[in-house]
Amino acid sequence: MWAWILFRISGLILVAYLFVHIVIISQGELSSADTLDRLFEMFENPFLAFLDFMLVAAVLYHGLNGVRVILMDLFGVSVRRHKALFWAVMAVAAGLLAWFAVVAAPHIFGGAG
Amino acid sequence: MRFVPADIERLDRQKGGMWLWLAQRVSAVILLFGLLTHLIATHIFSIGELSYDNIAERLQSGFFITVDILLLASAVFHALNGARMVLLDYFFKDLARRRLLDWALFVFGVAAFAYGLWALWPWITT
Repeated sequence: MWAWILFRISGLILVAYLFVHIVIISQGELSSADTLDRLFEMFENPFLAFLDFMLVAAVLYHGLNGVRVILMDLFGVSVRRHKALFWAVMAVAAGLLAWFAVVAAPHIFGGAG
Repeated sequence: MRFVPADIERLDRQKGGMWLWLAQRVSAVILLFGLLTHLIATHIFSIGELSYDNIAERLQSGFFITVDILLLASAVFHALNGARMVLLDYFFKDLARRRLLDWALFVFGVAAFAYGLWALWPWITT
């Protein structure tokens, strides 16, 4: 049940993010190169980089739990062992998040140009 | 209330049934590959270095512009259909209101897609 609740919550967060993302990026691309570059400079803010990290976490959770749902729904994989499958996809998510953390850390804690 | 198979089938059809369910899966798979491309391109290779020129150069490539358009369409669909499923679980029990919700989401989705497409237009036409 918790997997499902988190799936919904992360999904709704991503829906909200998606439309903000479309509007902000499109707005930037439609106005001028300078406007878009200024936007990207603004995103260099450590707090926004941290939010970006949280966003990647939500994407990874939702995406990989989604993979598990598809595997079970469509292919009947591991319906009896869905908990093992859950932890397996979460291990993949944690690995990818760790990779992103290494890339993002300098932007959150300083040290990136 | 006790459901018989016909009731369940009718309720399913009102919620979109098999096709929306399948489309949600198909768009999910597109998103997996599209987002992977999108995130690796923006968050791994060019983190801290994103700029208009940088993006313009990437969008010159037929591959990236195709991925972007596919990503935009499937993300908008997947997001709104997902939000609809959540909403229908708690609200909009009334059929007329549900129809209204469906139209509102549809119009909103088409508008969001068109807006994103408009921003990509210079690279679509070149």
